[in-house]
This record gives sequence, structure tokens and C-alpha cells, in this order.
Amino acid sequence: MIEPAPDRLTRMLAMVAYLRDNPAVPVEEVSEHFRISEKQVIADVQTLWVSGTPGYMHGDLIDFSSADLDHGMLTLLDSREMDRPLRLSPGEAVALLVALQSLLGTLEANDERSLVEETIAVLRTAAGEAAAAADAVEVEGRRRESDDRPARIKEALAAGQRLRLRYVSASDQTTERDVDPLQLLTDGQRWFLVGWCHRARGVRHFRVDRILDVQVLDMPADAHPDVELTGRTEPDTARAEQVRLQLASRARWFAEQLPDAQISELENGWLQLTVGVVDIAWLSNIVMALGDEVRSVEPPDVAELLAARARAAVDDYAVMGLA
Amino acid sequence: MRERVDASERMLDLVIALSHTRHRMTKDDIRTKVNGYRDSASHEAFERMFERDKEHLRELGIPIVTLTDAVHEDDIGYRIDTAAYTLPPIDLTPAQMGVLSVAAEVWQDSAFAASAQRGLTKLRAVAGGTSTAAPGVALRMRAPDPAMTDLLQAITERAPVRFTYRAAYSGETTVRTVEPWRVHARDRGWYLVGHDRDRDAQRSFRTSRIIGKVHRVGEPGSITIPESRPPTPERVFRTPVRLAIRPESAAALRARGSVDSSMDTPSGVRDVVTLDVSDVENLADEVAGYGAAVVVLDPPELREAVLRRLRAVAALGGAQ
Repeated sequence: MIEPAPDRLTRMLAMVAYLRDNPAVPVEEVSEHFRISEKQVIADVQTLWVSGTPGYMHGDLIDFSSADLDHGMLTLLDSREMDRPLRLSPGEAVALLVALQSLLGTLEANDERSLVEETIAVLRTAAGEAAAAADAVEVEGRRRESDDRPARIKEALAAGQRLRLRYVSASDQTTERDVDPLQLLTDGQRWFLVGWCHRARGVRHFRVDRILDVQVLDMPADAHPDVELTGRTEPDTARAEQVRLQLASRARWFAEQLPDAQISELENGWLQLTVGVVDIAWLSNIVMALGDEVRSVEPPDVAELLAARARAAVDDYAVMGLA
Repeated sequence: MRERVDASERMLDLVIALSHTRHRMTKDDIRTKVNGYRDSASHEAFERMFERDKEHLRELGIPIVTLTDAVHEDDIGYRIDTAAYTLPPIDLTPAQMGVLSVAAEVWQDSAFAASAQRGLTKLRAVAGGTSTAAPGVALRMRAPDPAMTDLLQAITERAPVRFTYRAAYSGETTVRTVEPWRVHARDRGWYLVGHDRDRDAQRSFRTSRIIGKVHRVGEPGSITIPESRPPTPERVFRTPVRLAIRPESAAALRARGSVDSSMDTPSGVRDVVTLDVSDVENLADEVAGYGAAVVVLDPPELREAVLRRLRAVAALGGAQ
């Protein structure tokens, strides 16, 4: 992907300010600091080197030491007064502050929490007036004090220990699995554990509210360097079967919360939701919950499968004299 | 020089030129002197380029100041006051930079995600050392909708707004005029809370249902935001529920209640599980998902709510 021009401009100016404070810094260190490749560092420096005040003659341009660059180091010789660090724009301050406040909502009272609070204080100083807009934003965390499962998973992540879970899948199967934890994700409401499941021999997403019991084993977790973490709270639905649901307007809230769903408007406020389904049990849970807010499901074999499940359930009520 | 200058390189030269100019530069000065603008094909191409760059720089917090000449009022000039865009002196520890790196990853692909990353880049300019991060723990949130930036700005400036809104139930669109008070995130969605002028009452708007642009319809400072915030209602656990659950099923429901007894039914033995819930409709969603594995014994309103859902889904198949 091509980097947007404002992002690159911001980084080049940040780099000038950084190099003012850090003379003769190895290219490798700059690349780590700004989280870009060494090739990109050099490309940025080459651009800065030919930039300057109109005229663009020697003396008008930002200048670096070529002798140092030959030794893989960067030294700024002339910044053309472009070495002031840039202040945060209101949009940048709000995006970072609201993210920090959201993080705070997911943490228990401990050192981690006070570190985030400190960071918020520093960021407010840095942002000045730009921080004002963040005060109008409230993030509601649905934290249950009694739930110690996230804390135990974090402990295992920090120590690199393996976990033993008793887990209820979407299809209501309870299994015991040994899992090497890779990442603990939350969307502010629910928690998800991404881990290498030794039972499934692959990466799996686990909803923490479906973990009945979690034990930190006295055994180190294996390293899984090949696993690429997507950072998504839902499993990858790109290669899933595409299912189309026609939903009543009342179910709009539901369609809106699915990250990869496509919504199109139909007549009279009905909408069509197209969503990738990996696990039919997941779809079944959703369609049963929505009930009469779903008026059609495609493809037909999926619709028939769901209908058969529902009929079987209604029959059970009937034989017990409850329906 | 090269045929085409990259937009970031052009903006860099513009920033340097406008920060160094003694007094100001006119558009003509910029077009004839600043690298990257010199090769614009036409007057119109230059205008478009300059306006876009100005807008980008404003978003980055480097506003271009417009100056008019006292003698020739039509003759507009531009400059950048570098002192005004400097970050105040701050001291960021590697641990705090680590927290900020985690925070910058919170937003899933959106304008908020890009803003957070740019903010982080700016802070890296003054942070020494490599950041340290807590391993593995991450927060991922659905970022606010495009309307959010305009709404927050209107709130900060105390200005009323007007927008087109799609109602959740009817799907109908209406134009609403609102005094915006605050924004909050709840149930994975973003809401604007404010005073709806047409209905003369406090209303909450889901920002994803705002269609198109948010327009200002009043002067800054023309509204007052009430200080008091309604307390968030505590969750109360009240309604007692009895469920008949098939053996080995619905472990997640069992974990929230207790198994009292077991019963024989024509479809086999079931455990009777009791639990207390605050929201019957919410539980109906969950219970319906278990299909035949869970039958509601009490209360009748929960049973009806579940059956209503099941009957509706039963009608979806071909054998209706």
C-alpha cells in the first residue's frame, strides 16, 4: 500500500526533530524507533536532503553528514529550522486520548492502570487545547469485578506459560484444551483469547465468557513465530461461505456491530446483510436470537438447516405440554 | 529536477518555504518559487493542489495563516508560524511510549486509526530510547463513524448542528437539528447525546445512522451543555428462571446458575437449572440459540419470548 502523503510528511518532520537530539544515531536505531524499514529511513533522509527554502542551492537545503551516512549513521548538520517537534492536532489528540481511556476501562486497579493514567496526564500536557474535545467522549466499559479470567490469561502471557481451558464452543461442546496464549483482545465489551490450540493443532479464537475454567499450567508455552496475528476480535471471515440475511429495521443494531458485514438497504426499512460464515453454529445462535427479525436466509440449504433445528426445539416444548 | 514531485515532498517544501518567508508568500510566489508547484500544468491544477495541501496541513496541526495586504486587499498572502505549531516540552518514558503504541493500535482501520498513528509519530520525535510494551494484551475497538470529527468539533465550540438521520425502527430518514453535548461508546457503537430542537427533548443518536455531512447551523458558543450527567444504571439481577437442560449441554448457562434436580421428559432426562437474570429478552436471545437443548420452564414470559423466536425461524425453511 502506498503511504498517504500527510503520514510521510509528519514522519519526516518528526525525524528532523529526533535527529537534532540524537546525533550520530545508527540507521538501524532510527528504523526501530519509527517502526519503518531501514530502506524507508534512507528514502526519507534522501528527500529531506534535497528539501529546503526556495532557491534550493547549497545552503538552502536541509543537510546531513555524508561521512556518517557512509558508516550507517545519521547526523543532522543543518535543519533549516525545521527541528521543532510538531504539536498534536485535535484529531490526533482525541484518537489517542479516547484509546487510552478505553484501555483504562479494561484494566483492574494495579500498576498497569496507573501507568496508563500517567500516560494520559502526559498526553494532556502535550496536547494542550487539542485535548478539550476528548472530554466530550465517554467510553463505557462493561467490566465485571468478579471475573478473574482475563487477569489469569494476562499472567500466563506475561510469564510465557501454557493454559488449560475448559471451553464451550458455539455448537455447545464442552472440551478441555491446552492452549499457548498469543494475544488477549477486547473490544471493550467482551474478551477474546487468541492462542495456539494443541487439540486443534492451530490458531483458535476463544471467547473468554465461554471459558468455564482456566488454569495456568506449570509448563512453558511453545514459541509460535510463524503465526501472524491479525488483531481482529472476530475470526477471519474472508474465505467463509457468504450467507445473505434479510433483516427487519429493528435488527439494524446487530448488522452494524459485525465488523466485516455488508449492509444494503431494501424497501420499507428492511435491510440485506451479507456476512461470511465460518461456523454454522455461530450463524444458528444469531438467527435464533433474532427470530422474526429475519425474513429470509440464503442459500436455501442453510435456511432449511436452521428451520429444522428450530422445529425440533418447538416439538420438544410441545411434547412437554409447554407449547 | 524530477518530472513529478511526490506530494509529501511538495508539502515539505511548502512548509519550509512558508515558515521561512519574511512576511508572506502570495500564490504567485508559491507557484513560481516552491519546488513541486513549479511544474503544475495549469492555473486550475495549481489551485487544486494548493487547496488540498492546505487542508492536509490543517489536519496535521500546521495551519497556514492567510494575510491580506493593507494596500491591495485582493492580494492574499500565506505564511506558517512555526512557534505556534510546536509541541510543548514533555518527558515520555519508554514505558509510557509502550502504552501509547498499544493505544495507537486500538482503532480498527478508519480515520481514527490514521490520526492515532500520526500522533504517535509526532511523539516519537521527542521520545528517547525504545518503547517497552506489555506482551500480548490488546484492545481493538470499532472506531467512531466519519461524522465523529465534525460532532466533536461542534461540541468543543458549543455550536448546534443539523444532519440527516435514519431511524432504527422505520428506517425512515429525517433531518434533525441538535445541540450536541457529548459522545459515548456503548455496546460496540457510538452515540451522540444532545438536545433535539425539533422534539424539544434530550435524545441519543447512533452515529452510524447519520447520513452524509454534519452541518453547523449556529454560531460558536451559542449553546450551553448541562453539567449533570445521568448516572449509569447498575445491573440488577432479579427475575428467577428455571430451565430444563439436556445433560452435558449449555455449560455456559449452567455456570451462571445451579442444578436443582432432574426431570424425565418424553424427549429424555433433563437437568433443572435455576438462575436469576435482569433482562428476560436478552436471555431469550441466548436460550433460543441452544435450540432443543434448553427448554424454559419458568417464567412464562421468557418461554413465550423463546418460542416466538423459534417459530419464526422454523418458518424460514422450504417445508413451511
